[in-house]
Amino acid sequence: MKFTITREKLHEGLGAVAASIPSKTTLPVLSNILVEATKDGLRLSGTDLDIAVSTIIPAQVDQEGATTLPARKLSEIVRELPSAAIRVTGSGEQRVQIECGRSKFKLLGLSRDEFPAFPAVKFDGAWRVQAKELQKLIAHVAFAASTEESRPILNGVLWELRPDRMRMVATNGHRLARMDVPVKGTGGQADLIVPPKALEQIRKLFGPDEEIEIARSDNHLGFRSAGTQIFTRLIEGPYPNCDQVIPRENDKIMTTDKAAFTAALRRMSIVASDQTHRIRLAFANGACKLSVTTPDLGEAQEEMTVAYEGDPLEIGFNAAYLIEILKYAPTDEVRMSFKGPERAMTCEPVGWDDPASYLTLVMPLRLLD
Amino acid sequence: MAILPDAVANQIAAGEVVDRPASVVKELVENAIDAGARHVRVEIAEGGKTLIAVSDDGSGMGREDAILALDRHATSKIVVAADLVGVNTFGFRGEALPAIASVARFQLTTTDGEGDGTEVTVTGGRVERVAPVARQRGTTVTVRNLFFNTPARRKFLRSVSSETRAAWEVIGILALSHPDVGIEFVADESARLQVPADQPETDRLGQVWGRDVVASMIPLGHAVGSVRVEGMIQRPADARPTGRRTQLFVNGRPFRDPGLIRAAEAGYRSAIAPGDRPTLLLKLSVPPGDVDVNVHPAKLEVRFRERFQVERAIEEAVRLALGGLDASATLAPGGGSAGWASPRRPMAEASGDAAWLPFDQAAPAAPDAGISTRSFAAPLFQLRDTYIVFETPEGAVFVDQHSAHERVLYEQVMADFESGAVASQRLLLPITIELTDEELEAAERVGDSLRRIGFEFEPFGGRSVVLHAVPSPHPRFDATLCFRELVADLARGRFGGWANQLERFAATYACRAAVKAGMPLSEPEMRSLLVRLFATELPPHDVHGRSTIVTVPVDELERRFGRR
Ligand SMILES: Nc1ncnc2c1ncn2[C@@H]1O[C@H](COP(=O)(O)OP(=O)(O)OP(=O)(O)O)[C@@H](O)[C@H]1O
Ligand SMILES: [Mg+2]
Repeated sequence: MKFTITREKLHEGLGAVAASIPSKTTLPVLSNILVEATKDGLRLSGTDLDIAVSTIIPAQVDQEGATTLPARKLSEIVRELPSAAIRVTGSGEQRVQIECGRSKFKLLGLSRDEFPAFPAVKFDGAWRVQAKELQKLIAHVAFAASTEESRPILNGVLWELRPDRMRMVATNGHRLARMDVPVKGTGGQADLIVPPKALEQIRKLFGPDEEIEIARSDNHLGFRSAGTQIFTRLIEGPYPNCDQVIPRENDKIMTTDKAAFTAALRRMSIVASDQTHRIRLAFANGACKLSVTTPDLGEAQEEMTVAYEGDPLEIGFNAAYLIEILKYAPTDEVRMSFKGPERAMTCEPVGWDDPASYLTLVMPLRLLD
Repeated sequence: MAILPDAVANQIAAGEVVDRPASVVKELVENAIDAGARHVRVEIAEGGKTLIAVSDDGSGMGREDAILALDRHATSKIVVAADLVGVNTFGFRGEALPAIASVARFQLTTTDGEGDGTEVTVTGGRVERVAPVARQRGTTVTVRNLFFNTPARRKFLRSVSSETRAAWEVIGILALSHPDVGIEFVADESARLQVPADQPETDRLGQVWGRDVVASMIPLGHAVGSVRVEGMIQRPADARPTGRRTQLFVNGRPFRDPGLIRAAEAGYRSAIAPGDRPTLLLKLSVPPGDVDVNVHPAKLEVRFRERFQVERAIEEAVRLALGGLDASATLAPGGGSAGWASPRRPMAEASGDAAWLPFDQAAPAAPDAGISTRSFAAPLFQLRDTYIVFETPEGAVFVDQHSAHERVLYEQVMADFESGAVASQRLLLPITIELTDEELEAAERVGDSLRRIGFEFEPFGGRSVVLHAVPSPHPRFDATLCFRELVADLARGRFGGWANQLERFAATYACRAAVKAGMPLSEPEMRSLLVRLFATELPPHDVHGRSTIVTVPVDELERRFGRR
């Protein structure tokens, strides 16, 4: 194996693969990056066995070959090297020499045969999606997936792929995010439950204007563009039917400025319990009263002017959830709708000039007096 | 009808005052201490059956007093009835010496330091001889052939070893009551106890009760009104169901009172395993007029005027002591942490010497919220995803994350129960849980508590229940698992030893809702857990009576590394 590559390209490539390298592992080869010099350039791959990332970067390959190298050390070396051509030469027995300017390193790797094979996903007849559409879904929905282990299905994000539209839904049972985007001609129809970690890589590693090919095997999903491939384990369904639980008859509507409401919530949170973040909202006559009482700590109140239609309402929430959904709202103004103190609140952007439709939902916390 | 001769009356009185050698030892040592002795030497042979000799260097007596002391009701300690109130000597009846002298071969040798001493010899109550003798200031009482003239009583004496042990017990208690007095105890020519005058209390306790026991104890000190409580109590984690010792003193006088022991045990509430009984040494000080010591023939009981206040002082003292960091387990040899001889203030008050906890002093503490509101600045490290480790000026501290969280949640739930402020998160997607018959029954039985804690559930056909709302005690809370485990525990009667149903429920819940061992925690999570732990009432103990905190003192490290 022998190739020459610019420091910048190698740095970029290693950065892309780094996120898929596990920080702790019992399988030593997983701490390594698979380095393959091919006639198309240099392919770098890493995996934690849940997701696998592979990217190809331009390099001048003089002699093809492959090995695996410790990811951390390799990245550190490349980061510290001057901006110049890097020459990498394999010297047998998984030994690799790295030269750049007047620096010279020898690194010891592990055989490429020890590196796990990537999932066999066939891309013939793949669905096609614009990266930016997919990334928009991910950016607005993936945060809502559950991180707690009791309901593994909720650890995933539901991705409904239809010929003319895509939808993503994620929830942890306390709050939910859902987005629909119209698209043309995906060429597919599938319901997929994808781990958010993989979606995060998709958001980061594909350029917005790339077209991504997507294909699945029984339990894996593959994404690929010209240079990059990402594979992930799929979570087995079925995903709970959320349409059924998203309320339609919420009749109390508040419209408010996102920034102002967020600021008020953050102020209240200071005095809220740092475990439950419970705050109380009271709506009446164009005003929203926020208040919090935390035994042993203290209390706080604030009143803000909002547009509110409907009967007066008092309702409790985990302030952290409200702040979070507001953070992801794509517009300056949001509309929140309520039914009662035990029922779900939904939140939608106001005046969004985007063909997508977006909804978030938060379940209340019980209030006792 | 005739008035009994003195000798007979004394013998009858002797039945109450001296029933075995140990009670003779007790009376004589008490007299020595009452006489202001600095050193008392006790020697017995054959369990005291053949010889009891008690010598002291106290005030001694002149010739007249020495003879008078053997008369019934002769006492120098009170003059009129009113003196009984607030009497601060052991003796006040004037009965012990004549009673003992009436049932033994008795010799009193004494001098008050002016002129010759006096030796009085009495046999079976009859004064045989009064002679001058030379000796140093002080008194020696020698009692031979106890009960030689009352064979019935002699027959009831036990073996030499059990009589010796009884004498030892009596001396031990008196040694604890007066650490300022040096005491030497010799039985059959071997030294059984030798404690110097003015000995530090914990050293004395170590010699009397054993160093291991003392190493498992922590000091306490607290006052309510005019009642002051001091002493040492056992760490809950070291308490066992059997073999404990308890000892009460009031104004230096030993007494028994199961009710006060119960008050102390109440202070252990929620921090000790059901059935475990802690070893306790409690020294009460009350104004002399507030305790009546003359309510029991053998002076074993006393009566308090403000009994309720005494109980409260004891319970609070225990609780505060258990809440202090000294109450945490330590890996020091013998278990004692540095400086445990002096009771420390509970942590919540210890703003000044909270130095052991490197809290960020820059953050102003709310006056009554104690250190909980401060940020906790020490670097933290998680060991085996189970223990949080940090450094203090005194050493390294290990905190068990599960136990610590249990303590936090337990106190939080109890407070929430009171305020009704339980945070219950409504669920978008209700959770269905399949239970066994027993579990379903348990869930229904404690349905109210489950609801109060935040679980809203209803039967869902068959043995299933569906959860509509769940508590939200911390971000990593797994509601399904907690509900399952909680109900299973309740069905199996776990924590069954807890008397109070609500407390039992809270303990079970705390155990199940807490973060588990083996769960990696982020640095802010660890920090927040510690801050909340130290804001609880009893940081060092979990709800099972185990330790939440173990300290490794620098002293101990230095010892191990041969630096000292
Ligand atoms: N070791 C001693 N040193 C000096 N005086 C003593 C000593 N032992 C006894 N006395 C004197 O003898 C008196 C009688 O002692 P005795 O033990 O019989 O009665 P008491 O101690 O006054 O009351 P009690 O019967 O409650 O013990 C005491 O009041 C004290 O004055
Ligand atoms: Mg006496």
